[in-house]
Amino acid sequence: MKFGFISAKRRAALLWLVAVAVMLTPVAAHAYAGPGAGFAVLSSFWTLFVAFLYSLYAFLTWPFRHLLRLFRRRKAYGNAKIKRAVILGFDGMDPELTERFIAEGRLPNLAKLREQGTFRKLRTTYPAISPVAWSTFMTGVNPGKHNIYDFLARDTSHYLPYLSSAEIKGPKRTMKLGKYTIPLGKTEIKGMRKGTPFWHWLGKAGIFCSVIRVPVTFPPEKFPGVLLSGMCVPDLKGSQGTFCLCTTRASHGKFREGGVRVAMQRVNGVCQSYIPGPDDPLAAGSELRAEFEVKPDAAAKQARISLDGESVTLKVGEYSEWLPVKFKAGMGFNARGICRFYLKEVSPEVEVYVTPVNIDPGRPDLPISHPVTYSIYLSKLFGPYATLGLAEDTWALNEQVLDDDAFLAQAYGNHEDRERMLFDALEKTQQGLCACVFDTTDRVQHMFWRYLDDDHPAARNLPREQRPQVIQELYARVDVLIGKVMQQIDDKTLLMIVSDHGFKSFARCVNLNAWLHQNGYLALKEGKSESGDWFEDVDWSRTRAYTMGLNGLYLNVKGREREGTVSPGAEAEALKAELCAKLNGLKDPETSGIGITGVFDCDATYAGPYVDNAPDLIVGYGEGFRASWDSVMGKVTTQIFEDNLKAWSGDHCIDPRLVPGVLFSNRKIADEKPAIVDVAPTILKQFGLPLPGHLDGKAWTVA
Amino acid sequence: MPHEMAFAGLFRWNVPLLVVIAISIVIGLVMVLVFAWTSDQKAIRVAKDQLKAHMLAVRLFQDQLGVVLRAYGSLVAGTGRYLKLAFKPLLFVIIPLTFLIIQLDHYLGSTPVETGQPFLVKAQASSIDDIALKLPPELTATAPAVHDATGNEVTWRVVAQRDGAYDVSVAAGGQTAVKRVVVASNIAAVMPKLSSVRLRDQWLDRMLSSAEPALPADSPICAIAVTYPDRSLDFAWIEWNWIWLFFVLSLVAGFAFKSLFGIEI
Repeated sequence: MKFGFISAKRRAALLWLVAVAVMLTPVAAHAYAGPGAGFAVLSSFWTLFVAFLYSLYAFLTWPFRHLLRLFRRRKAYGNAKIKRAVILGFDGMDPELTERFIAEGRLPNLAKLREQGTFRKLRTTYPAISPVAWSTFMTGVNPGKHNIYDFLARDTSHYLPYLSSAEIKGPKRTMKLGKYTIPLGKTEIKGMRKGTPFWHWLGKAGIFCSVIRVPVTFPPEKFPGVLLSGMCVPDLKGSQGTFCLCTTRASHGKFREGGVRVAMQRVNGVCQSYIPGPDDPLAAGSELRAEFEVKPDAAAKQARISLDGESVTLKVGEYSEWLPVKFKAGMGFNARGICRFYLKEVSPEVEVYVTPVNIDPGRPDLPISHPVTYSIYLSKLFGPYATLGLAEDTWALNEQVLDDDAFLAQAYGNHEDRERMLFDALEKTQQGLCACVFDTTDRVQHMFWRYLDDDHPAARNLPREQRPQVIQELYARVDVLIGKVMQQIDDKTLLMIVSDHGFKSFARCVNLNAWLHQNGYLALKEGKSESGDWFEDVDWSRTRAYTMGLNGLYLNVKGREREGTVSPGAEAEALKAELCAKLNGLKDPETSGIGITGVFDCDATYAGPYVDNAPDLIVGYGEGFRASWDSVMGKVTTQIFEDNLKAWSGDHCIDPRLVPGVLFSNRKIADEKPAIVDVAPTILKQFGLPLPGHLDGKAWTVA
Repeated sequence: MPHEMAFAGLFRWNVPLLVVIAISIVIGLVMVLVFAWTSDQKAIRVAKDQLKAHMLAVRLFQDQLGVVLRAYGSLVAGTGRYLKLAFKPLLFVIIPLTFLIIQLDHYLGSTPVETGQPFLVKAQASSIDDIALKLPPELTATAPAVHDATGNEVTWRVVAQRDGAYDVSVAAGGQTAVKRVVVASNIAAVMPKLSSVRLRDQWLDRMLSSAEPALPADSPICAIAVTYPDRSLDFAWIEWNWIWLFFVLSLVAGFAFKSLFGIEI
């Protein structure tokens, strides 16, 4: 019989037989069959040996830990009404849309929760911005006590913005060595969010907590439990996400923000380019780069991408898996991250999109979890995953570098990773708290609201019947996930589904700086009718108010701002009242819509030790409106109102009264007007812990 | 045979330790490459990562007995999966490498008999009544033969006066069989091909331990053996059997090359 005629099964059996025969007939000195066998045996032995050591340690210390745990748990669970709390956060899940889709029969699991448990609108924070609302969610206090008022805060000495959640600084000391500047010490990361997340109280009481991707948890704080940081984790460049478009197409156009265009050189049919990386730690002012090459195959509509010894072949319109990328600085200094490639085009031009370089969760250069090994554990268990806070590249879709499908593929890829993490956390946390926040709901609604609106400026050219039902599918997907979670919980588990805010259309942009300029509150330098980004052409000596970020309006106060003009006290109060009166009800002359439905005095809205860092007023835009892209970046234009033509077509940074979040629970909650600030005290109370006196929220009555 | 010539050429170098080091490095490299080509690298990477994850789970969730026990279970299952993945490349290397080691063992496993030092010659035959040993002039028997009737075995103590390779003859049942004996004075430095036994039949034993032609099938003599001393190599202040040194050095080389080439093992 020819060997080729032997079936695969028999061939395998034959191979096994030969192998077993060889293994069973060794002569003493020949039993070792070289490094191949040695590697396998050693690695396995090592694994088992380490596991054995862990076991031994666990076994020897178990009685003590058990006693301690008994003592702590008796204290912790002594008054507990629940065994476990599962909180699923869906950023931006809107109560009105949810009700609508429930009525359409799209969300059977949420419908079940509504019938058997609770469904309420959840009052959000002022302003209704994710970092603000989630900070309040976790600390149970108002922004005046946790210090987060927006994604950005302003530096009063320069009128420039900085990231409000975390400050990352290079090492304090360096040593000059020729052309190199050697950093001495570690990068310093300082969390700016104040207040104590409720899982810290639970952890201290001996209640185990698994916290996954809750926003504003970077840098991760120590507590007895595991936590993976979410929104506000930077990319390897230190930004909130900078994608890269590598292209052979000649263009000098710069992206407004969020991305860079890199030229690709074609040499003998091979295209060479690079991924811009972080600043060179050894040479100030220069940037590290990771070079890669692309071999396009126009006929097959594919290309082979080689980076750092790894190669991957992609079809046009296909993403790579997460690939490791190493930026070499010399003298042994390296920065490591992960990124994904997306092949956009191979003919006539070659274009490759590269995601922002994420911190590698398996070898994190900056801590993104507590303990550090938790991100490594997840990476080893499920493979590399997005770690960037804003991992779904909305900028790339806004700039039309990615199309709808490519964006959705990326967003849902991340979503599936989070689902895996959630179910692992659920399995590991049979008692205690399991909290996980999904961002997909926020990002997809931001980018696809244009297909939901009847007449959104960004989708006017697309007939209604051709519009994809992206948001409907998103909610259905969320419902399926919730259904799976419901199957995994018992009646001693409290399930809460919360969102930090709702969503509305963003069809019209309001440039508040333009309004302030036209109404005499903000002055430009002589001869200027507009100002560039970050108040480039503003005459501060004649300016009384300005805005930057999404909802904050600031007075140019003497002694606070570098070139303040408004005296604190009566003058400032009068100016605030004047601005409130004028802005409230501001009408869009083109659509007759109300551009601003409320302006809120922060002194009356917030209370706490960090109120001085708050804006002076919070501007609540009307439904369909939001701060313009230019206004957010401190730019002054001539137009106050204009159409929003970007894919980013839905938003929530408006009057918080218009965008409450959702609260679903598997239990009856008596309170009629719950707020996101109440979640922390409610969970603490459910676990039978005393409520710290400084909390602003009130615990709900849960059946 | 060609491979013998190759080894002979190599062993003219005559420094057994250096030979073991060189072979270990080359074999380490070859094995790593063979492992890379014949294994499912991605599956191995995943299997190893999963093992690491389960180990981390034991540490991260150490206060939760259920989780820890499940992690132990997953560790055992994961180790099995990993071994299964490593088995295929093992199949590719185990047979050629076993034969290679057998061949190397003829050169490196033992030293020749030292000149002037007694050694034993043993013969096993179907009948030992008329068995006799015939020595060349350079070799002398120093004691009467010891007969072991239960094992049909006879042992002679012999001393060699001069370096060289000699044939000792054993006669029994009217037939004579020859066995090669190698004698040297500087035994640590030389590496002739040595065969401690010459056998009749016993195909597998011959293949694994003899470097001489088989005795005739109709010969009453089953085996003739010479007790060569085991060779030990002095390396890193430790005396090694060559096979253990090869084990350690080839592993070190393999791990170094795997890192260099980015190969998952």
